[in-house]
Amino acid sequence: MICAADCKKVPLLEFQNLDYPVAERDFFQQLNFSITVGGLIGLMGSNGAGKTTLLKLAAGLLQPKRGRVLLGNKDISSYSGRKRAQYLAYLPQLLDMNAPFRVAELVSMGSYFSQGQQHFSITEAIEIVGLSGKADAFLSDLSGGERRRAYIAMTLLQGGKLLLLDEPLANLDLKYQLELLRLLKQICRDKQISVIISFHDIALASRMDRLMMLKNGKLVADGKPEKLMNNDIIREVFGLADEDIPSLFSGFIKVC
Amino acid sequence: MNAKKQHTALRAGLLVFGSSLIILLCLISGQQLLNPFTLDQETLNTLLALRLPRVIVAFLMGGALGASGAVLQGIFRSPLADPYILGISSGAALLVASGLLFGINLFSLTIPALSFAGAVATGGLVVLLGRGWHGLQPERLLLAGIGVGFFLSATLMLLMTIASNDGLKQAFLWMSGDLSMVDFGAVPFGLFFILIGLALAFYHHKGLNALTLGDEVAYSLGFNPVSERLWLFMAASLMTAAAVSMGGVVGFIGLVVPHIVRRHIGSDAKTVLPLSVVSGGTLLCLADTLGRTVAAPLELPSGVVAAFIGAPYFIFLLQRKQNR
Repeated sequence: MICAADCKKVPLLEFQNLDYPVAERDFFQQLNFSITVGGLIGLMGSNGAGKTTLLKLAAGLLQPKRGRVLLGNKDISSYSGRKRAQYLAYLPQLLDMNAPFRVAELVSMGSYFSQGQQHFSITEAIEIVGLSGKADAFLSDLSGGERRRAYIAMTLLQGGKLLLLDEPLANLDLKYQLELLRLLKQICRDKQISVIISFHDIALASRMDRLMMLKNGKLVADGKPEKLMNNDIIREVFGLADEDIPSLFSGFIKVC
Repeated sequence: MNAKKQHTALRAGLLVFGSSLIILLCLISGQQLLNPFTLDQETLNTLLALRLPRVIVAFLMGGALGASGAVLQGIFRSPLADPYILGISSGAALLVASGLLFGINLFSLTIPALSFAGAVATGGLVVLLGRGWHGLQPERLLLAGIGVGFFLSATLMLLMTIASNDGLKQAFLWMSGDLSMVDFGAVPFGLFFILIGLALAFYHHKGLNALTLGDEVAYSLGFNPVSERLWLFMAASLMTAAAVSMGGVVGFIGLVVPHIVRRHIGSDAKTVLPLSVVSGGTLLCLADTLGRTVAAPLELPSGVVAAFIGAPYFIFLLQRKQNR
């Protein structure tokens, strides 16, 4: 286990002076932030703001040009694949929704390298995401939301302390979006896991424990949603006109 | 879930039992039906000297092609991938046909040695061409295989068009998967490489499952997608090369068998790989037996018969899936 007694003190994930180029110019410049244990963190920004790139850097799929990504005080590149998988799980935005597996087969892949440190059994993970009666169903026979939840159950089984989910709310209707967020918050609370999700919808921002707002590769705001949800920041992050702001705020969903 | 596991185990058991029965039937069937309960010396000789080796070769070839197809469909994430789409068979066929047409004589090892060399060289070339900036990429590898395969096939056709000697018919029959030309001396050689390929594929079965979900998910699960794909491609190439070297080009089995196994048993590579060996081996045994009995004394190439059996069943499965 990466963090034991000093869980709250040692950051799970830390970006240190990170530079990363896109199209031969530095997109991320001197990016610094850290994530500690527990909590649902929302990564917000318009299209092209750098959300996916940031998650891929955090997962070790992309290597920074300068600076470091630390997982539990160690450079992510120093981890073997197995060790990294025990620490964090990354779920890309585009998933193979027609993979030829049954739900239980798919979910069980999360335990390949978890070496008994799982938070859940396969049955529990399937139950938690609300697919109890569908363990033996083929993925292709489920709805879009159910398929995504099956993948999330797989990442839960990895037993890591950090989940990186790229646009997990995409293509889900409002009911499923809220259900999934409720589920992720509960897992964060019960299992002391940190979950970072990227998303667009500012109506859901208030459900996060922490918001990180990106614009063109810059972290323009980072903190509690209630402090960041104001006209100036929203206008800045999404590049909106003044007249658009009031209608947006009237659509907010309050945290339960 | 336990009930489902039992159900899967029961289906797998039934498949193995049914396959064993079919193989026994293949052993006693032929131009002359042998009675296994009244075996005299002559019958026993026919069984051991003629039928058994041929059934063994057909089973090994079909099994290797079935497992190879299961591996390739997983690493390319394409239901249409099969051992021949990567040009491996075209490479083997070109070298064998060249050898036969130009009278190259390596005694009894002419066909197996040339086909194995052709298959391995083509597999190596496809890997070299399939390497991009980020290592071995599935789309690039698949396109390289198709390109190389078309080029080699065209060269083979050109060669056969301008040639006119006795090796032509022999080369043509070999390319149709005619097991009557099998040289049993090549069996230990083929078996050795099939076992290596199978062991390699089985050792990487978790990686194969993960690659089926895409490289980024495989990475997240703790695998290195590039090296997993390379090992598994080597395993599939070895099995295909060994199968081609034993009995020529038999199409369709590598494509259809993994689909049938997945549909009936599930998609976990730990189950799909061994059951594709059993199913592929049995299908080719059955095809070979039908090929040498239905139009006796004429022998139909087993590759042709396998396609006639497999294609309608494949289409039936496709229709059933669509209706569901």
